[in-house]
Amino acid sequence: MSLLPLKPGPGTGKRLGRRKSPAARRKLEGSLFIAPWVIGFLTFVAFPLAYSLYMSFHQVRITVTGVNTSYVGTQYFREILFADGGLLYDDLFPFLKEALVMIPIIIVFSLMIAILLNLKFWGRAAFRVIFFLPVIFASGQIIGEFIAQGEGSLSIITSLQMDAVLANYLPPSWAGPIGNVIGSFVLVLWYSGVQILIFLAGRQTISPSVYEAARIDGADPWSTFWKITLPGMVPFIFLNVIYTIVDLFTYPTNPIIGKVTTENYGLSSALAWIYFILVLLFIAIALAIYARVNRSLSPRKQ
Amino acid sequence: MGKLSWLKNKLIGREADKGLLFRALLYLLLVDVAFIYLKPVIYMITTMVKDASDLLDPAVIWVPTGIYGGHLAEAVKMLDYAKSFGVSLSVSTLSAVIQVISCSIAGYAFARLDFPLKKLWFAALLFTFIMPAQVTILPSILLFKELGWINTFWPILVPTLFGHGLKGALFVLIFRQFFSTLPKEMEEAARIDGAGALRIFFKVMLPISRSAIVVVFLFSFVWAWNDAYFPSMYMFGASDVPLSVGLSKLNAQLAMEAQEGGLRAFLEPIKMGASFLIILPLLVLYAFTQRWFVEGVERTGLVE
Repeated sequence: MSLLPLKPGPGTGKRLGRRKSPAARRKLEGSLFIAPWVIGFLTFVAFPLAYSLYMSFHQVRITVTGVNTSYVGTQYFREILFADGGLLYDDLFPFLKEALVMIPIIIVFSLMIAILLNLKFWGRAAFRVIFFLPVIFASGQIIGEFIAQGEGSLSIITSLQMDAVLANYLPPSWAGPIGNVIGSFVLVLWYSGVQILIFLAGRQTISPSVYEAARIDGADPWSTFWKITLPGMVPFIFLNVIYTIVDLFTYPTNPIIGKVTTENYGLSSALAWIYFILVLLFIAIALAIYARVNRSLSPRKQ
Repeated sequence: MGKLSWLKNKLIGREADKGLLFRALLYLLLVDVAFIYLKPVIYMITTMVKDASDLLDPAVIWVPTGIYGGHLAEAVKMLDYAKSFGVSLSVSTLSAVIQVISCSIAGYAFARLDFPLKKLWFAALLFTFIMPAQVTILPSILLFKELGWINTFWPILVPTLFGHGLKGALFVLIFRQFFSTLPKEMEEAARIDGAGALRIFFKVMLPISRSAIVVVFLFSFVWAWNDAYFPSMYMFGASDVPLSVGLSKLNAQLAMEAQEGGLRAFLEPIKMGASFLIILPLLVLYAFTQRWFVEGVERTGLVE
């Protein structure tokens, strides 16, 4: 996110009285354009957000006359984090581990497909049409039907008895989630629709003349990929990591989402907040890695 | 020696995408993945049209001996297809059209205009993008209850008016990205001619944003069509439900019937028929728009 707003330079507004009015007018116009979004943000995001934080510290009773709340402090947070492990740890941790395994697979797979789809070959148009299909299905309940069909698994993995192998070589707390991911490997491919799109669009930003130059210099395809394509794709990889995190964590099949119900407003709100903080943590880790990669790349870039 | 290098060139190629070996591998990989994507759809269609004898015959897997419409008819009835289809179509179309307009306005403001606290609001936009809807869902339900909008479409449509709603933040980001890649000259020329921001936006910028509009419209439509979470949260008691909610109701009903002793011999074909009915309109829409869509994705600079 590097593009900065265009700002009037220092002094543009001050030079003359006549100069000042267009700048003020532009500000007014800008405010007019953004006003609906800001109003929407305050009503549909900021207010519910603050209210859910408030509710997470309160016991909420919905009565005919209105909403009654009584302060309970951090009781719900303590209950979720320390007392009742079932709500958070049994569902969330396997899911987080699965996500940790799935994110790299999704990224590598979609990068590979996008690079392949970017080549010129016969039938490319038809393949593109097929490869965007997940964007249509994968956002809905249809995917649930596919899982139920057993479409998620690859028969080769069951026939090789991968589960047993995994259980032998990995600690039990990880063997389960990783086994799940491998067992539903096809599903991982189904999650990659938008990511392929982003990589395809990103690949267009690397100019063909760079490849031309590399070819003239006698670089082989292997080093071309590592020296040109991959560094050029770093921002898109990062963008996709963020998108994948957000997407996985808000997916309807996610176990936590079903737990946020209208049965107990306070407890559900506390759970949602803990969950949100975990999402932020994941994104912060991704950001930190990105900053580090970027720093190690930048001396070569410029 | 010369022959050998000629052979090597032919097989591996001078460039990554020229050798025969590479080509073979490329097609192998692409066909495999394409098959993975197409298989459930094919399975869905073939299962749906199998009649009782085909379903019981283990020799019939992919190609049914005849086409039987009974399961599909059952699914149409159970989903209340005509009505649910109308609901889904109107909700998805409305929210897609509204989101295109409202998100493009906000995106344009973020890309090109100046307003107070711009950085703060941009941070708010990113925040909205990464925030799971579950954090705000309960207060939103209370808010809409207060307004008397529960079991209506307003909780889904009203936020889109303001550039929010399902994935609204992502659409604002896409438009912002698109507008900031456009050259500034046209706007400046229009500004010198004395046009205001509103005029510039509607007369100059929107007409040249077809690719971004197509991408956002399709995403918005498809996601609104498939989404079952918000409708089930806001419209749990409504009789007019979109297809996505209809499917989960159908599943629940079938499961209940199966428990009670099974009135129906075959659940799978009905489920497949229902799934097919839900994605069919999307497939038709995609078939008509895919050309613009693919082109749009490449041009939008969907990405930073």
